[in-house]
Amino acid sequence: MSVLSAKRKRAIALLSLTSIILITLDLQGSASTSVLRGTFGAYFRPIEGVARVVTRPISNAWYGITHYNDVTEENNLLREKIAQQEGAAVAAAASVRLSQELLALNGLPTLAGINSVSAQVIGDSPSNFSQTVEINQGSDSGIKVGMPVMNAAGLVGKITKTFTRRSIVMLITDPEYALSVKVINNPKESPNVIDDPEAAATSTSSTSTTTTVPTTQATSNIPGFTPGATTIPLNTINVTVSIPSLAPTLTVPVSGALPVRETGMLEGRGPTRVPIVRFIDSAQRFGTILPGAPIVTSGGSLSLAPPDIVVGTVTKVSDRLGTAGPILEINLVADLTNLSFVRILLYQPITERVTP
Amino acid sequence: MSSVLLAMQTTLLNDMRPFGVMAHVMVLFAASAGVVYGSEIGALAGLIIGLMYDSVLTTPLGLASLVLGATAYIAGVFPYLVRDSSWWSKIIAVAMASAIGEILFPVAQAMVGYSGWVQWRVLTVALVVGVVNLVFAPVMLLLTKWTLKETLVG
Repeated sequence: MSVLSAKRKRAIALLSLTSIILITLDLQGSASTSVLRGTFGAYFRPIEGVARVVTRPISNAWYGITHYNDVTEENNLLREKIAQQEGAAVAAAASVRLSQELLALNGLPTLAGINSVSAQVIGDSPSNFSQTVEINQGSDSGIKVGMPVMNAAGLVGKITKTFTRRSIVMLITDPEYALSVKVINNPKESPNVIDDPEAAATSTSSTSTTTTVPTTQATSNIPGFTPGATTIPLNTINVTVSIPSLAPTLTVPVSGALPVRETGMLEGRGPTRVPIVRFIDSAQRFGTILPGAPIVTSGGSLSLAPPDIVVGTVTKVSDRLGTAGPILEINLVADLTNLSFVRILLYQPITERVTP
Repeated sequence: MSSVLLAMQTTLLNDMRPFGVMAHVMVLFAASAGVVYGSEIGALAGLIIGLMYDSVLTTPLGLASLVLGATAYIAGVFPYLVRDSSWWSKIIAVAMASAIGEILFPVAQAMVGYSGWVQWRVLTVALVVGVVNLVFAPVMLLLTKWTLKETLVG
């Protein structure tokens, strides 16, 4: 009996040591752990596939019982939203097209110029302490670790692991997720509009001429903000935009009334708590951040995401003493609880690109 | 048996989340092994089950193995705390060990640098997993006796 116990203790010690070595290797980013996972995946995927088929009726029954009322309410809400947005969609497409042309004209990068891969979400993380989803595209499609993932609404997360034909996406709400973002603080005061052509003629060079397209903002739920996330191929749109008047209406921005941007760090906090943005500089120029201010990715040579992908809006501002700056709670535009299809931007910052 | 349970974990139980918490059949299996066969065999079973579970998680490989090994070891200690362990005390032991195991997951994650998951929500998760595993413990205890009989025990 004691011999058997000693054998078991040795086996326990050996397995524990193996686990510790595996943890160390995995944390160091060793390829051997990926090979182990891949090998086990090859064995386990067929079993999981069969289990998925067998258990689907039970899952569906569970959803039917627990989510029936929610689905009915959501259906009604969606019908109403579709009715509201149908009319605005064409004008919105035109706005985006104009915006992209303007950016291209000035040699500025747009999201339309970044290749992307569409993927289907095929599974969630089987854990209570991880906010990840699995998608059905991998390194075969050019996906690499760190690439940003978005859906039609906005940013969803980033790629954290790739296999040949599948990848793991860490969602924004995961506590390990962090990303540099911009807060766009809209000016409160409206600009001075000069209608008098003579006055316009005598204005100084600080004035700017603007033409106005009928104001319809349907590309985003955020008032006054057209997201860069909505991209339309330049050669597929054929929309006539009517400009009502080309009379010289001059808009003179009030000093400091232009939208001001300030960068901060977005951090996830788990599935039950909304993400926050820290390290916002409490500069006087930036003014008071109000709920509703849009949050977009900041981009830059070190950021894994390109600039101007919509992330969400500010819902709560918690001021802190001293120069610590406020903490902003964020309402994400993407619904992470119900992801079906996502788009992976094949984007890598300059610092990550490997030259051949 | 472990493969089938893992498949259930990644499919059915992953979809059905009462109170937003996923029921944890892998923890249940490890705890049952500990209660039925004692700490040593339980720990061995837990370490092996955990390694399989690790392969489908995104946390560092080996972490779930240590957690499930510890869970099963703790579960194996419970029967010694009562004089004459009856069937219902074993069920309670499985539920308590499951709740402890669920708390051990974020603690272990914090020890390797993933500290964001140590939140008050962990207690809710542990409570829900404990209650769900209390319900399924009788079936799992029988399954554990049947499946581990010819292998680890010898």
